[in-house]
Amino acid sequence: MAVPSYPGAVEPARQAFVASGDVRIHVVEWGDAAAPALLCCHGFWDHARSFAVLGPQLAARYRVVALDARGHGDSDWAAAYSWATHIADIVAVARWIGAPLHLIGHSMGGGQVVDGARALPDLVRGVVNIDGFGPPPMSAQDEARTVERFSGFLEQRRAVAARPDWRPYGTLEQLVERRRAQNPRLSREWLQYFVFHGARQAEDGWRWKADPLLGQGAGPWRPDWIAHGYARLQQPMLAVVGSEDDTWGPLPDAIVGPRLAGVPKLTRATLAGAGHFVHMERPRETAQLILDWLEAA
Amino acid sequence: MRLQHARVELELGVLSDRDGPALLLLHGLGGSSADWGELPAAWPGRVFGLDFSGHGGSQPMRGGVYQPELLAGDADTALAEIGPAALAGAGVGAYVALLLAGGRAELVPAALLLPGRGLAGGGPQPNWDRSPVEAIEQAPSTPLPPGCDARCSALENDPRPPAYAAHFARAARRVLRFEDGTPRPPWWAAAGGDAVGGTIGDALHALAIAAR
Repeated sequence: MAVPSYPGAVEPARQAFVASGDVRIHVVEWGDAAAPALLCCHGFWDHARSFAVLGPQLAARYRVVALDARGHGDSDWAAAYSWATHIADIVAVARWIGAPLHLIGHSMGGGQVVDGARALPDLVRGVVNIDGFGPPPMSAQDEARTVERFSGFLEQRRAVAARPDWRPYGTLEQLVERRRAQNPRLSREWLQYFVFHGARQAEDGWRWKADPLLGQGAGPWRPDWIAHGYARLQQPMLAVVGSEDDTWGPLPDAIVGPRLAGVPKLTRATLAGAGHFVHMERPRETAQLILDWLEAA
Repeated sequence: MRLQHARVELELGVLSDRDGPALLLLHGLGGSSADWGELPAAWPGRVFGLDFSGHGGSQPMRGGVYQPELLAGDADTALAEIGPAALAGAGVGAYVALLLAGGRAELVPAALLLPGRGLAGGGPQPNWDRSPVEAIEQAPSTPLPPGCDARCSALENDPRPPAYAAHFARAARRVLRFEDGTPRPPWWAAAGGDAVGGTIGDALHALAIAAR
């Protein structure tokens, strides 16, 4: 089928694969390769093209690199996923860029760029965290279900051996509709572009590129650990949320505020009219916000 | 025999095929099912020895995510093959045995926790002063043996909060802790159950009784 276009979405100027251990990380780029770099990290289940409108807006002054997290987009699948290995991939791509840079992340990627910056105090100059302030606190009920969740995780692991890949969908439009049901604020036109790059076509139909294993995880991690990492971030952070309620956030300020309270160099901003997917819904305004913040630093 | 855990092929050895209840042995960090020596002869039934992913005859994990919960997935794959079984685990294998004794209580009548390499993990909470990636990239305390995936050293740095371990202890049917006077990490006391002493053979005998 024809490659869909979207107003403002620009084909990347370059792409590459970067080795992170035995996993290859796919990156796309916009802008002058000699300009100061911005590394963009997408959210869970998304991919590098989530920055296809924002990136070119920033590319007038910056080399904009966007990665596909492992298990997403055109990066390799792994045997299992963890927060730490996602950070290792960000570190690998930042070292591949090899010059001082800023990190920009959305949702899952927003949390990850904070830990990426902490791992690279000499290379990373600052981070932009777009509504990536973690899940809600763990309730007493969640806590009581710890073993039950782990048993469910074991069941999922058993199921993978029986069915290692997605069932195919007949048409791309069915995938678009699936995504639209989850993110009703995103336009059909954008999702037709975005889902096209997040899906692959085979003889028997369309499948997500994202690994079905991605949602699986278990362990002692708790949302109340987030603030400990934030408090040790040495670089400046621009923390962005949208003004509108959405399926995935933003969390109430009564939760986000205390998590951010310990960040030593913090700027907070709210983007009017955007939900959780701030950079997809309002790419131009998001770009201006980031450029102004970079300029002021 | 070869087993498939998600995308990793595992080696499960039959160490004793006497008629009787099953025992699954879980080795410590850097080890393999060969570590158990003559011990399987002390068990009154079938004995299986698993090689965790990245160890012994099992494949490494692409992407290198070595976490106790995933090793528990390795052991659960073995339980899917052999059915209900008592567990005995050493070092990281002891922590994995506790997770599985709670998470698969219907399949695990009793678990014996033994000392060994990887018992403490990274302690009761993360080291907040470093990025999570440093916990998986830190060199091992002593070199891991050849043939063991070097990334398994992450199992010396994962946090093991006692309050987390206590959830699994409460869900488990029977837990036996092998005590020999040497120090144990904070999660160990939260595993509850009963202390056993003497030789490891004595502890295995106590496990056989507890598993009835």
